[in-house]
Amino acid sequence: MKMKLWVLAAAVLIAFAIKRHYADARADDLEWILSPTAQLAGAMTHTTFTLQPQEGYFSRDRLFLIEKSCAGINFMVAAFGMLMLALLHRVGSGLSAARVLGVSLLASYSAAVPVNAVRIAIAMWLAAHPVARSTFSAADVHRFEGIAVYFGGLVLLYELAQRLNRRVAPVGQTP
Amino acid sequence: MNRVPRTRVAHAFRRTALPLASYYAVTLAVPLANGAAQSGAFVEHALAVLVVPPVAIILACTVHTIAHALASACRAAGASRRCCRLP
Repeated sequence: MKMKLWVLAAAVLIAFAIKRHYADARADDLEWILSPTAQLAGAMTHTTFTLQPQEGYFSRDRLFLIEKSCAGINFMVAAFGMLMLALLHRVGSGLSAARVLGVSLLASYSAAVPVNAVRIAIAMWLAAHPVARSTFSAADVHRFEGIAVYFGGLVLLYELAQRLNRRVAPVGQTP
Repeated sequence: MNRVPRTRVAHAFRRTALPLASYYAVTLAVPLANGAAQSGAFVEHALAVLVVPPVAIILACTVHTIAHALASACRAAGASRRCCRLP
């Protein structure tokens, strides 16, 4: 129980550190997540994103900028917290605690890149195909799409984690 | 809505409770703790964040129910056709 509390405290600290880094960072500082996202979104939409210093990744042919606020850091933090809680029952020793923290962090980053790339690809498609005479503005549609994709991504990640969790040997049976 | 879809919706909400809680925590609780409540733009965004995920869950359940009903109907139609071909 004590170990689980320590792990939760460590997870909160890590989430806080990521949010702090995001708040203070410029687009150039977020290259570790913006670059793979831009590459994947570019591959999905058959366009090339090039780095614009201080601004982010820009597609000249689509006039679309992936800026700091598009980095998907909030999704990554939400995914990290969710995975930590989902895998918390696996924490027993210091080693298992480090493993759960590491796996959750790596999985949240690995999920944030494709989910965010999908969100950007859909946003680019929506920008190119505006819904005529819609009740909602383009900004509203972009917002709804972002929420739906991020939440859907979290649900998919959770389902995947639960399935893998069931396949891996139950707690206490690992050698 | 009859009893079965209502149960399905309740089951879906239980199943997605942790992703939903994580999403609300990061998109609503953290900004609120940082004093975002005074901003009108945040209130508008928060309303969308509150409403879209439950609507998405209900929509997914509806689509699943319709797909399930269609699949059952197709299976039943296929079975009756096979029965008709029997001598």
